Amino acid sequence: MSLVSLKFALFLLAAVIGYYRIPKKWQWVWLLLFSYVYYASAGLRIVPFLLFSTGVSYLAGRMMDRIKNSQTEKKLKQKRKRFVLLLMLLLDFGMLAVIKYTNFTLANMNRLFDLQLSFQAFLLPLGISFYTFQSAGYIIDVYWEKYEAEKNPFRFALFVSFFPQILQGPIGRFDRLARQLYEEHEFNWPRMERSLQLILWGFFKKMVIADNAARVVGEVFWGNNYQKYSGTTILVAVLGYSIQLYGDFSGGMDVVKGAASLFGIELDENFKRPFFAVSIADFWHRWHITLGTWMKDYVFYPLSLSKTMLRFGKFARKLLGKNLGRALPICLANIIVFFIVGVWHGANWKYIAYGLYNGLLIGFSGLMTPTARKWKSAWHIPAKSTVWHLFQIFRTFLLVNISWYFDRADNLTHAFALMQKTVTDFHFSDFRDGTLMLKGVSQIGPRLYNIVLFGCLLLFIVSFYQEKGVRIGEVLRAKPAVIRFLVYLLLLYALPAFGTLSSSGGGFIYAQF
Amino acid sequence: MKKIIAILEDINPEVDYTTCDTLIDNQILDSFAILSIVAELQEEFDVYVTPMDIKPANFNSAQALWAMVERLKA
Repeated sequence: MSLVSLKFALFLLAAVIGYYRIPKKWQWVWLLLFSYVYYASAGLRIVPFLLFSTGVSYLAGRMMDRIKNSQTEKKLKQKRKRFVLLLMLLLDFGMLAVIKYTNFTLANMNRLFDLQLSFQAFLLPLGISFYTFQSAGYIIDVYWEKYEAEKNPFRFALFVSFFPQILQGPIGRFDRLARQLYEEHEFNWPRMERSLQLILWGFFKKMVIADNAARVVGEVFWGNNYQKYSGTTILVAVLGYSIQLYGDFSGGMDVVKGAASLFGIELDENFKRPFFAVSIADFWHRWHITLGTWMKDYVFYPLSLSKTMLRFGKFARKLLGKNLGRALPICLANIIVFFIVGVWHGANWKYIAYGLYNGLLIGFSGLMTPTARKWKSAWHIPAKSTVWHLFQIFRTFLLVNISWYFDRADNLTHAFALMQKTVTDFHFSDFRDGTLMLKGVSQIGPRLYNIVLFGCLLLFIVSFYQEKGVRIGEVLRAKPAVIRFLVYLLLLYALPAFGTLSSSGGGFIYAQF
Repeated sequence: MKKIIAILEDINPEVDYTTCDTLIDNQILDSFAILSIVAELQEEFDVYVTPMDIKPANFNSAQALWAMVERLKA
């Protein structure tokens, strides 16, 4: 059931009406019921995967709590808890690995060893990458004794399956999300308006900006189509992919956050104006934030603070001197983390390249920080220089767009071919003579470009003021009703008038991970 | 405490560590800097910081860092 469908709108309406009509103590049960109906609507065959992940993480929590409260000596407790942690994480991630990476592994083994291993027909359960990470985070938190394990299996099942976020996140944390899910919520009109405002803005980003930009992107990136287009057109398509991906994912997040907020539940932020980032590290603090923080908390810090890495750090400091030796283990941890980020995106070498590209850039940037500081000081660049700030934003935007080649291309070979053509077949004249209009391709023309550009301009203005700390939604809600509803009607009118549905019928890019 | 300030200044000299108490909240220290500090603390005070210790409350100021070191030493 796509978020961009009448079916979902009616489903959400029924869920909200019932939620505030039934006795408040049953609200969480109502949400659990609707969450499972929502997930099952995508196919009953995928429900067991959700149940498995829920069961594994619930049992892990209960077992670790039991060990913690037992009368055993401390060292033995720790040993047992670690055993449960590793076993349950292995089960949780094992399921994800088998489903997602078996065929990728077989294909590479066939190629490497000249084998004829046959492929398995796995169905990829929707949202599996998101709810696996969410439940794994819970297991690790309980192991760290950050909080007590949830005793009620049905309540815990709601934490893993809450329907607005199950398909594409944000990846929630038990200590922030669960309490809200189980609390009783009063109907509150201002919150409803804020939620609907967010949903409407999300639809605008998705249907008017992302799905229109997708037409150009899809045409240029389709198979070997790039061969008939110039490097300039490919560059425009890559910029279009920036717009498409951001509009699609952040628009989807607005709809998800708005939908959750209708029930009084505030989900974590997943985007914070990523194209204002001043470095790749900063970009990842603003883009898919919950994946970044998950990686930082559960992989990056544990890995960097592990005894092996600390020993390596000591060795590196002796060998390479204090600064380089201190930075090297951190760079290595970053590269490992982003390798995992790449793998998380999918079983394809292009995603691994995408992850490593980001990891290497962040690692290199970390190594260069002291040098960059010296250069800035030598060239008398003030810390708060606007020109420098704009240069950093532009540089980051450029580097991010290079990463999209890996992300959007069919495979690694395709990505490099596209990059090569961008550089070797670039003509400024294409901007003047209409080449970029992709003449002859149906439904692509000046109107589509104008819609996307106008949508982007509106998005930029909103983002610019948000970056300055202005809460646009609040400002609008403070206006008289006539103005407010006029804006809402205009946005609502824009959806069918200028919007489009992607070829997947309103599907979201990240819902396939 | 002086050693803590010296460690921080070595990592980023552009901040007044005697007064700043929003090192994490204002993103003055990123994860790279945090881990550099952790390595120095291990070297200087022989304390081991765990992933559970990595939270804003422990890294927002030189004072908070010192308090964490004292706690870990005990």
